[in-house]
Amino acid sequence: MNWIGLQTLIKRELVRTFSIINQVIWPPVITTLLYVFVFGLALGSRIKQVQGVPYATFLIPGLIMLQVIDGAYGESSSSVFQGRFMLSIQELLIAPLSAFELVAGYIVSGILRALFIAALITALGVILVHTAPIDWGLYLLVIVLVATLFSALGVIFGLMAEKFDHIATLTTFAITPLVFVGGVFTSIAFLPPIMQRITVFNPMFHMIDAFRYSYTGRGDVPLAVSLSVVVGLAALALGVAFALTVRGYKLRT
Amino acid sequence: MNVPAIRIRGLVKRYGDLTAVDGISFDVEDGAFFGLLGPNGAGKTTTINAIVGLASIGGGSIELFGHDVVGDWRAARVTVGLAPQEYNFDRYLNIRDVLIYQAGYYGLRGAAVRKRADDLLERFGLTSKAKLVYTRLSGGMKRRLTLARALIHEPRLLILDEPTAGVDVELRLELWAFLRELNVAGTTIVLTTHYLEEAQELCNQIGIVETGKLVALETTANLIGDRSLQDVFLELTRR
Repeated sequence: MNWIGLQTLIKRELVRTFSIINQVIWPPVITTLLYVFVFGLALGSRIKQVQGVPYATFLIPGLIMLQVIDGAYGESSSSVFQGRFMLSIQELLIAPLSAFELVAGYIVSGILRALFIAALITALGVILVHTAPIDWGLYLLVIVLVATLFSALGVIFGLMAEKFDHIATLTTFAITPLVFVGGVFTSIAFLPPIMQRITVFNPMFHMIDAFRYSYTGRGDVPLAVSLSVVVGLAALALGVAFALTVRGYKLRT
Repeated sequence: MNVPAIRIRGLVKRYGDLTAVDGISFDVEDGAFFGLLGPNGAGKTTTINAIVGLASIGGGSIELFGHDVVGDWRAARVTVGLAPQEYNFDRYLNIRDVLIYQAGYYGLRGAAVRKRADDLLERFGLTSKAKLVYTRLSGGMKRRLTLARALIHEPRLLILDEPTAGVDVELRLELWAFLRELNVAGTTIVLTTHYLEEAQELCNQIGIVETGKLVALETTANLIGDRSLQDVFLELTRR
């Protein structure tokens, strides 16, 4: 195992993240601030409670998940694609780094970016609406699992994409719509019965619901179910990302 | 008997219906200065990419100092440094960090690496540019940085793909002097170039590839005889 190589790759990804901080760190924080203002403080004042907690407390974990997903996917997808496009990924490919070390480097970097963004938004929640997680272990576990899943998806799409536009495809047509209908703003108890039955097949719903447990101690479906869905999807995405990298898919000619 | 720096046996590389490398076999002895020549599309860069791990191998085998590039890839890759034709530096790092991070990917870090990076920057006249990203360098400086990066982990084998393409005469002569010095100090060098006088000047052994096949493999003196390398090259590669 080339530990120094792996650490160097992670460090390089962090340097990249902080050199484009106005693109990847501040936008999710400011967007969340606006969501909290409009939905949490303005409209939310007309909603008394959801799942037995103030609406703002209900809202914050969903907003954190939204940005964790976006941050983790954005980190690995753009880095892998940019490396391929600019050929700088060849620096890694000729070095004694295994496929496992390469994938691990991108995944850990995605997790770290997601944790950093989550920490900032969590602090916003504490300051603006006086809400904080009640189960920090679960809070960290869900962020790490979800960031692993979306970092792995980022590696997959970063490898498959032929142009930057292709990377946005997953975000535009799958992630964003599924997150928004997956319970960021409302409990599925508010939905018509048919929509409730459909929503449980939305993987984003399980991520948000599991994460919300860490804030409210309750959710729409049992925690074990939600966590199982997230773990299963993360394992699948990791497996595909690893298999593609081992094959050198669009990396080695 | 010394283990050769490169041992290639029956190397085959296909891209769909196109056979880019068609059963090439040759050795490059430890300490040699080897020129791999051929017209565009002959298979030179594909062969180099197979050696360094940028291309998968369709058939045959490659060993670097006795390490198979597939079965024993980690040990093989440590032995080789590549200076590619393209400027593929990390755009988020200054050029000093480009060297230090590259060493990191090879499992090296610490004060010794930082000193080597500083020494290489000084050797190539880049010290004053150490804090700049590579896009701020001139073409000649980028070419020198390519070489510095390939050498940061002190490889026993240096592969140069068109190292003097697009550089002025002064820098070309400077690079030639440096490469000779490096070779005399024990580094095996493989060079591809379209400047035949460069190969004639530097290399003690030359291989010529044409349409994926090795059509000549000789010491430079034997290959040329009393003719010029250009005459020999044109005769062997006329399609």
